[in-house]
Amino acid sequence: MKKIFVDYEKCVACKACETACAMENHPSHSLFGLLGDKKTQVNVRVLAVEHEAFPVSCRHCEPAWCMDACPSGAISRDSETGAVILNPDMCKACAMCAMVCPFDAISFKETHRARYGRDVAYKCDLCNDRVKNNELPACVAACHSGALSFREHDQLRRDQAVKNLRVYLLGEEKLPKNFELYRELRRKEFAQRSGEK
Amino acid sequence: MKIVTIGTGMAAAEFVDVLRKEGSQDEIVMLGNEPFPPYSPCVIPFFLAGEPLTTVYWKGESFYRNKGVTALLDSAVAEVDAKRHRVRLSNGRTENYDRLFFATGARSWYPQPQWLETNGVFGFKTLTDMLAIDDYIREHATRRVVVFGGGFIGVDAALALWHRGLEVILVHRNTRLLSQMTDEDGGVFATRKLREITGIDVRLKTTVTDIDIRDGALRGVKMSNGDSVETTMLIVAIGVSPNSEPLVGNDRGVVVDETLRYDPHIYVAGDVAVTPHALTGEPAIYATYPNAMLQARTAVRHLLHGDATYNGSINTNVLKKHIDFPIISAGTFEGDPVTWQNQHLFRRVYLQNGKINGYQLIGDTRVSGYIYNLYCAQVRVDKIIAPILADNRGDSYYRSLMGFNQGQLG
Ligand SMILES: Cc1cc2nc3c(=O)[nH]c(=O)nc-3n(C[C@H](O)[C@H](O)[C@H](O)COP(=O)(O)OP(=O)(O)OC[C@H]3O[C@@H](n4cnc5c(N)ncnc54)[C@H](O)[C@@H]3O)c2cc1C
Ligand code: SF4
Repeated sequence: MKKIFVDYEKCVACKACETACAMENHPSHSLFGLLGDKKTQVNVRVLAVEHEAFPVSCRHCEPAWCMDACPSGAISRDSETGAVILNPDMCKACAMCAMVCPFDAISFKETHRARYGRDVAYKCDLCNDRVKNNELPACVAACHSGALSFREHDQLRRDQAVKNLRVYLLGEEKLPKNFELYRELRRKEFAQRSGEK
Repeated sequence: MKIVTIGTGMAAAEFVDVLRKEGSQDEIVMLGNEPFPPYSPCVIPFFLAGEPLTTVYWKGESFYRNKGVTALLDSAVAEVDAKRHRVRLSNGRTENYDRLFFATGARSWYPQPQWLETNGVFGFKTLTDMLAIDDYIREHATRRVVVFGGGFIGVDAALALWHRGLEVILVHRNTRLLSQMTDEDGGVFATRKLREITGIDVRLKTTVTDIDIRDGALRGVKMSNGDSVETTMLIVAIGVSPNSEPLVGNDRGVVVDETLRYDPHIYVAGDVAVTPHALTGEPAIYATYPNAMLQARTAVRHLLHGDATYNGSINTNVLKKHIDFPIISAGTFEGDPVTWQNQHLFRRVYLQNGKINGYQLIGDTRVSGYIYNLYCAQVRVDKIIAPILADNRGDSYYRSLMGFNQGQLG
């Protein structure tokens, strides 16, 4: 099964992934549709940690603790893609899933898919429909720096995945020169900002 | 081999589901004292709040047919004859078994048995309860309800009926709601917030002492502080007792071994099973779905492969129903408290030897998964816990994994 990998050394924190995800999940599928819409659903979040930045989201863990915690039959795994899918029609927003997710990948609000006039849990669905159509997840397709990729991952990685996020955040190749410079810059900027505090 | 389950609840449904997934083609009979497909008690309050009944059937409405099981419903099991491998139902029928899965859960406890027979007094435990409450509200155009008991189920009931538009009076004996899930400070904070958000009339340090019955129907309740309240509906949620009588003859639950067995042919799981705590070893009933589920799966593995052991239960729980205000708790509130709080959030962990012994996280779920993992892993956190509790961006887990602070998991 394929998963989304994050090469954090390449992330330039442009948030193109966040926008693409929001558009993919919006009924209008357009940028203008998102504007001022409180029900907009974004399943990926670019997090800045010291001088690093990287997009974080559901890891579609195996076993998935959220799935084991859900008492409503709302979370299941797609047998074809391996994606962990949350069905808002069954979800009661009880937070049993969020309570055990180490990645804080499950959030609550009244999205466009909420049917009962209250909040529901929502999270990344690996763009399951796109993937079944042989397309890339929207965030990966939108990432211009190569920080996000959608690749097969072997059993070893799967075993480590739940415990060790670094596996997903590997910088595997040697970085191109401009990235090195960019990272150096971020590091300095961060040092400067922390010094000012 | 013939496998019989007593109960069609969460543990039994998970057990049968996983048996079939693991390829078992054995004959399976499910016995239940209600007439429904397996349903999730965690979900049923939402039916009262106006959501579709179909969503309570968490494994689908055609479960029995899809799993190829015989369901004998609407008849209670009176007795298990463990010697003869036979179950006797209250309607006189008997069922033999090769393996028995005993998962009868628990029932509402009433201070006075005659309350049960009064029209307008309800428990809040089963789908039968919910349907009866729903009918009653429709028939009597009920406007006001008194909920007696401010524990998890009582608060769930109060919020569901508040959501439906009823005026709710919630009566609780303790100094704060959810007194088992919280310590004094956390519980007082949570109670204040619940009052603010919903306007529910919460009466603390009070009990319902008597009910006023006219023509067999409820007219009002009397309380320990001398107050009387006119109401045609009372929900009693002051506690539950395990349905362990058919197996052990008393209602103290069933103590099981590390394979979840009571005897070589009987597995026991869910809200009726006494199991050790995974971290402390303390034997008790840990009545939440994740424990029931794990017990059911362990029993399947042992039944099919003969070599599974249960590692114990975890007493984490979260109440986030009908409003977006989660109250999360786990473990025991003993040791050194470390607290972070602002106007909207209250977060406290109790440390013992630098490790998390228990915690309460009230108001959001942001750091809950990370803290749950630190608690389960029992790693030392005394040097890093303060900033984690104060984390409002949800980055503390990632910080530790990137090596920006100590206390890595695993
Ligand atoms: C209102 C409410 C809200 C809850 N919310 C949550 C939550 O948010 N999160 C959470 O983790 N847990 C929650 N719980 C607890 C959770 O529902 C239980 O832990 C779980 O259902 C336990 O599964 P079980 O199979 O042991 O019991 P149950 O699901 O209660 O099933 C027991 C079964 O046994 C049957 N039975 C009983 N006696 C007999 C008999 N003599 N003969 C034949 N059949 C019998 C019953 O009909 C039923 O089918 C909630 C419970 C309630 C009541
Ligand atoms: S919040 Fe929704 S998906 Fe999560 S455990 Fe509750 S019902 Fe399941």
